[in-house]
Amino acid sequence: MIRTVVIVGTLLLGVGVVAAQQDQVAKTQLAMKSNGKNLGAINVMAKGEKPYDQAAVDGALAGLQEVADRFATLFPESIKGLQPDGDYYASPKVWTERANFEAHSAGFAKAVVEAKGKIKNLATLKAEMPALIKVCSNCHETFRVKKG
Amino acid sequence: MPRRIFFVIILAGAAALGVYWWLTAPPIARAVTAAYTPNLANGLTTFNAGGCSSCHAVPGQPDRAKLGGGLAIPSPFGTFYAPNISPDPVDGIGRWSESDFVRAVTEGISPTGFNYFPAFPYTSYAHAKTEDVRDLFAYLKTLAPVSGQVRDHDVPFPFNVRRNIGIWKLLFMDGKPFTPDASRSAQWNRGAYLVNSFGHCAECHSPRNFLGGIISAQRFAGGPNPEGEGWVPNITQKGLSDWSEKDIAYFLETGQMPDGDTAGGLMVRVIRNISQLSPDDRAGIADYLKSLPPVDGPPRPRKAPKEGDKS
Repeated sequence: MIRTVVIVGTLLLGVGVVAAQQDQVAKTQLAMKSNGKNLGAINVMAKGEKPYDQAAVDGALAGLQEVADRFATLFPESIKGLQPDGDYYASPKVWTERANFEAHSAGFAKAVVEAKGKIKNLATLKAEMPALIKVCSNCHETFRVKKG
Repeated sequence: MPRRIFFVIILAGAAALGVYWWLTAPPIARAVTAAYTPNLANGLTTFNAGGCSSCHAVPGQPDRAKLGGGLAIPSPFGTFYAPNISPDPVDGIGRWSESDFVRAVTEGISPTGFNYFPAFPYTSYAHAKTEDVRDLFAYLKTLAPVSGQVRDHDVPFPFNVRRNIGIWKLLFMDGKPFTPDASRSAQWNRGAYLVNSFGHCAECHSPRNFLGGIISAQRFAGGPNPEGEGWVPNITQKGLSDWSEKDIAYFLETGQMPDGDTAGGLMVRVIRNISQLSPDDRAGIADYLKSLPPVDGPPRPRKAPKEGDKS
């Protein structure tokens, strides 16, 4: 009886751990999608497809900052090698080149703070946009893989 | 009788060797004799369009003009190491003649007459105008020499036999210069020229066969990343139908996609170069790409999509 309880308990624990990892992958993906949505929202203004809207800019930058502040914690060792549904997954380099990854992560947080300080109108948005995009793509260059 | 058979075999062997030698012999070089005053500004444009620094710049430092080489380029055939193309007379191309350079870039043949591996995208550069290549040479000469030899390629037999590349070229290289399409606009033709010659977009954005040749029916339709993990997107209208010309030009300038996503992987390097071109050149590229008919790429080795999964 005790043996059955132990075995079932261990299995349940295992299922729980796997579920928690998948849950983390989904949370990480959700955070990246939120970044994309927020960057996209200010980008359509920079491109001239939508009129400049300071409240929307503030909202988008706040959203980016919220993710940037906890960015490195979105990629714990436990999700290494796991792939979410969708187009991309995190390269194993996120963990094998951890110092480099964390430098990029810190650079993202810094860029968002700078953007918040500088973007006050369409002209400053246009001026700041390239730096913000670069911070994303410079990290994606090494640490994101498009699925085959 | 056995002696005669022996003789015939020897003769056939010699003939086969002769044919092999003839097939793999480097062709006659494109003549670069006429006097020419190079246009350095156009040389810089050519340098950026060609993405030279993506492979030849010293890795791990930000200066795109420090062309000491050394970047490892993995492939299914082995790992290539980008050579030093700085004007250093010993380790770079400082002692090359203009003809040497034109021949190397457009025909894939070294000054000493051996074939370059097609990891160097001369299959695309072959479509370039000779004047543009001469301008590029003059521009490279203005850059700082970088000393240091790059290590040898790490390519196993039989792919390391450079004479075999002569046959590969006969099979997969169309060395014809670009011919404009008179029925299209000047902008479209400029884009077509940049994409197919210096831009060498098809080199990554097309699937390749087992010998490493581009499958021409699926040109621009994407495929596995030739440098390893991941997938390169389809840039025919199959993949880019919901991108406007402006979206494409903006992406090539900034790395920002219409949906808020940003560029990743090798494309980030490409954008570092293409962002330096003129807006007109990027508009030309966008114009040309929008005109590519939709073509299905190779199937992705992907799990079957789940219910409710859009893609």
